[in-house]
Amino acid sequence: MEILSVNHLTKIYGDGETATRALDDVSFSVEEGEFIAIVGSSGSGKSTLLHLIGGVDRPTSGTVLLNGNDVYARSDEQLAVFRRREVGLIYQFYNLVPVLNVVENMTLPVALDGRKINTDRLNTLIGRLSLRGKEGSLPRQLSGGQQQRVAIGRALINAPAVVLADEPTGNLDTHNSCEIMQLLRDSNKEFGQTMIVITHDEEIALAADRIIAIEDGRIVRDERIRR
Amino acid sequence: MNAMTNFTVKSLRANRVRTLVTIIGVALAAALLTAVMSTYTSLTDFLYRTEAATSGTWMAKVASEDNDALASDLANAQSNFSITNTALLSDVGFAELTSEQQNHLGRYQAIRSFEGDVEEVCGIRASEGRLPENSGEILLYNAWKTREKLDIGDEITFNVGHRVAVPVNGDEDAVMTHGELTLGIETDGDDETIITSGTPLDSSIGYLDAEVDNSTFNEKLVDTNKQTYTVVGFYNHMGYGLYTSVGVSAITTGAPQVADYTDVFLVMDDVQNSAEVKEKAKALFPNDHIELHSALLRFMGISSDTSIWTTFYGLIIVLSVVIILACISLIFNAFAISVAERASQFGLLSSIGATRRQIRRAVVLEALFVALVGIPLGILIGIGGCAVTFAILGPAISYVAGGGAVPFELSVDWVVLAVAVILTLATVFLSVWIPARRASTANIIDTLKSSGGSRVSKRGKKAAARAANPKKLWRSGGVAGRVFGMGGKLAKINRTRGAVKGRTAAVSLALAIVLLMTAGSLNAFLGTLVGAVTGGYVSAGDVSVSAQFSSTQSASYEETFDLPLTAEELLQVRNERFVSEAKAFEGAYEYLGETPGADGQGWTLSSVLPVIVPREMAGSAFSDSKDISGGFMKDGNCATMVNMQYVDDAAFDDYVRSLGEDPAVYHDKDHPRVVGISKAYGNDGSSYQLLTTLQNTGNVEAIGGEVYMNRYPALLGAREVVTTSGRDSADAQVWDFVPSIPHADDEVYQKELTMKDVEYVGIDLEVAKLADEPPAVVGGNGSSIMFVAPMSLAYVQGFGMEAPYFEAQFNAIDGDHEQLADDLSSRGGAYFHDEAPYEMAFYTYNDRIEELSTTQMLATIVNVFCLLFTVILALIAMANVFNTVTNSLILRRREFAVMKSVGLSNRQFRRMIMDECMSFGIAGLIPGLVISGGISYLLYAIIGQSIDGLIFNLPWGYVALAVAMTVAAMGISVAYGMHRCKADNVVEALRSDGI
Repeated sequence: MEILSVNHLTKIYGDGETATRALDDVSFSVEEGEFIAIVGSSGSGKSTLLHLIGGVDRPTSGTVLLNGNDVYARSDEQLAVFRRREVGLIYQFYNLVPVLNVVENMTLPVALDGRKINTDRLNTLIGRLSLRGKEGSLPRQLSGGQQQRVAIGRALINAPAVVLADEPTGNLDTHNSCEIMQLLRDSNKEFGQTMIVITHDEEIALAADRIIAIEDGRIVRDERIRR
Repeated sequence: MNAMTNFTVKSLRANRVRTLVTIIGVALAAALLTAVMSTYTSLTDFLYRTEAATSGTWMAKVASEDNDALASDLANAQSNFSITNTALLSDVGFAELTSEQQNHLGRYQAIRSFEGDVEEVCGIRASEGRLPENSGEILLYNAWKTREKLDIGDEITFNVGHRVAVPVNGDEDAVMTHGELTLGIETDGDDETIITSGTPLDSSIGYLDAEVDNSTFNEKLVDTNKQTYTVVGFYNHMGYGLYTSVGVSAITTGAPQVADYTDVFLVMDDVQNSAEVKEKAKALFPNDHIELHSALLRFMGISSDTSIWTTFYGLIIVLSVVIILACISLIFNAFAISVAERASQFGLLSSIGATRRQIRRAVVLEALFVALVGIPLGILIGIGGCAVTFAILGPAISYVAGGGAVPFELSVDWVVLAVAVILTLATVFLSVWIPARRASTANIIDTLKSSGGSRVSKRGKKAAARAANPKKLWRSGGVAGRVFGMGGKLAKINRTRGAVKGRTAAVSLALAIVLLMTAGSLNAFLGTLVGAVTGGYVSAGDVSVSAQFSSTQSASYEETFDLPLTAEELLQVRNERFVSEAKAFEGAYEYLGETPGADGQGWTLSSVLPVIVPREMAGSAFSDSKDISGGFMKDGNCATMVNMQYVDDAAFDDYVRSLGEDPAVYHDKDHPRVVGISKAYGNDGSSYQLLTTLQNTGNVEAIGGEVYMNRYPALLGAREVVTTSGRDSADAQVWDFVPSIPHADDEVYQKELTMKDVEYVGIDLEVAKLADEPPAVVGGNGSSIMFVAPMSLAYVQGFGMEAPYFEAQFNAIDGDHEQLADDLSSRGGAYFHDEAPYEMAFYTYNDRIEELSTTQMLATIVNVFCLLFTVILALIAMANVFNTVTNSLILRRREFAVMKSVGLSNRQFRRMIMDECMSFGIAGLIPGLVISGGISYLLYAIIGQSIDGLIFNLPWGYVALAVAMTVAAMGISVAYGMHRCKADNVVEALRSDGI
């Protein structure tokens, strides 16, 4: 089943002579449960693509359909609701709220939505992410790997339609990187979580079902990995 | 441009608004310091010029009694380069004056001869005509023109002689030391003169009167001879040099020095303190007595003495300190936040090899740039503001503080400006140094890794650890959580766990409230103070004149009365005199009423009358207040001194009609009736207010004709009598009338008398009507019972009162109250001079309009200064709030972006910010209000010492204003901060790794 459809997506930053075409007529679609790696060199437009899918930026032209609904037909308020329910974002620099502890950071999207916390799911995630005993810790008291696991937990808590990860291991050592990738891979398998990961680590890319390569804002390669 | 300079300039440009706010802060601080200091220097300069204009620029005065030594000492002094100017005043002699003249001129006409620049050095100037140029010319006090009708060009002859001491009883061996007492002048200890028989008395020694001084010496004039002078001018201003201990001076010049007494006035250069002035003078005139012009030296800043001005300067210093502290906090906040915001920039810079010195230099460069723009701007604003303010208020200040003789102008002292610059620079660098040090010593990795968001307090860590139970997650949001939903809950967490920033904002808010309220309270209380001075007495006329005859004092009762004297006889004698005085005053009122431009509003005759008021008539004031004159006697009735006001019949009849009474009732010659004023001012223990003195109409008993031993006329006073045996109870407040015999020999005078010892006449008087207020011609309520009676009663019954006080009210028909006051003054003077049947105690006028405008000027000055103070403090407070609030938001923009990226809607964001603002608003408001309430009370306590009846009220208007302004400032800051945060693209903010 097609969960995400990106159609002729174009994003131009600035105008006139300084205009930069970060994305240039990008189209692709994603099936539910797919694990996709987006690769490309710096400035190729992969982060822009991720942010456009995640509803944190607006495209210059083109559409993004998630579960058949046009993401950018929504108002800013609706877009905020969309972000908390439909997508989970994971960043290279974790981006946790410094004053919130581990569980608060993880459950923030649910709380923002005013819904009741699914404690079973929270507990499962805490266990799965090896954060047991760290529930009350603040981000600053955690290691980089632990912080990134909290960010993953936050992305997964709502069981969103799609999890978007921007270089999730970019700031971590090899050991932690492997662990984080394993977690993403596992959640993809266990929860059937659709996952789009930006990386330029070939090994990580190879763990995906499908690799989309972007150069100069255009898709230059889109291939499935056969295992 | 090197890399760090480049970096600094770019970062300043990138944060234009914040740079601007910082510059404004620095400019405000500099402006304020300049303004306060310039006000100080201008005031000192004004006071110096006023003192110099009135008393001259002399610093030390040498009182020389040895003319031989003086000549050489003086020549020596004049060749001394540190003496820049000198002037001499020598005694020529003294002339007898008539007793009439003595009232205006003093005991003698002192004649002194001047040499040198007395205009500049002694402040002796001719208000009309010129200074004398030879020994045949003379400058006289203005009274010679106004009273004695002398004019320029006239000749006047004085019988000039020397004063010498004469022992009482011809005791040739008598010796006395005579000390001097001079105000505003510092003297050394050796200022006593040994007086023996025949000692010549100079102009520094007061008139010797053995009886008055209780001493053994009188004085007389000897060697008198006639001297004729041509009047060349008059002076109207009594400078120090013109006033002698025996009367005002007449000034001539070049007169042969008959007397040996000379004052030498010295102006010096290069002196640091008053001790040095004295030393120099003493060195030049070793044998003479030195006095210092301490008032002038004080305003020159070279005196170290303490006086009332110290208090005043203290107030200015305290204000300056408050302002300096406020400015420091403003600048410090601005820079601390600016540097903290870029902590990671500095981390980055040091990571790529910038040394600590380079980083510090970048920050210092930034400070320098801000100071370079801000300080000159501030100084211009400060001086400009002062110039404008003084241009507007100058005439009023000059008038109120110095009689308008010397203009009040802006005086800029470059030293003071330098101090303002240095103080501001120091503040800027201090404010920059601490955050710069912090930035340059910060751990590189920490600053790079820091997400630029809120820091967490220790308490916050514990709270976070406690909030980990998944079941209770997000439950506790408190009231805010319920009102503002998730935004409120997040705000609460930010608030309770975040470190410092919210507190900075709250502190700046509290400071704002305190500053505004201090200004407000000062305003309110000073307003009351000015109101208390301005208000109260409301007069019926533009100009009032008042007069009184001297009371009947005669040492020889045998000559005045047929002894033995009965109370009836005394009453009759006194009443006859009362009628005669009333007639004279009635004539005066009629005569004055004919003054062109005068519109008579009525006249009154008043005196104090001992009255026994029955208990059922006496109001609560007598038991509540100690300020009311009178109290309960042993028999329960009230002994009180009544303010008896006879009002001219026309005004009285109008008044009685306005009370709904028939005037005819009050003109019954056989049955005296009065209107009783039932309210008087008194302090009932909690505040000064109108209290009830009379609660019923009825008959009272007035006491007149009190006489002791059928010989001595007595006077009564109502007093609280000491109860030795405890009449009814030990603490009973028992009042009674106490007779005294004022003009008798010591033996009788010192006797302690009671009412039993004197004979008197009780006169029935009916209080036919009670009223709250007296008629306009009387003025306001007093502090005792007041009776208002028609003038026709005065001709029938004076109740044995003596020396009634005459007051008449006039309006200026054409509005020229000054001219009217002048005319009434001279016409009244002439009338009483020609017509008065008795010796005048005084005749004076009050230009009410003038008084009112003076107090209004004072009120304007106070109000404008309060307003300026308030506005400036408000600006500082607001800038501070803006800085802290805006920056606390901007610093967290990445944190906000994170929240937004996980689905925080704009509405939730707004609510979160609103809630946070409200909470630090409350955190600032409440302590701010409490502290300012305290300060307000303190000000009340200080100002309350100087006026009665000031009631403590929080100035609610200012509370509301302070709150409104603070809320507005916060609103603007939040709006700007949110605008900045929103303008950030979420993506940009997320990626902006602090650089």
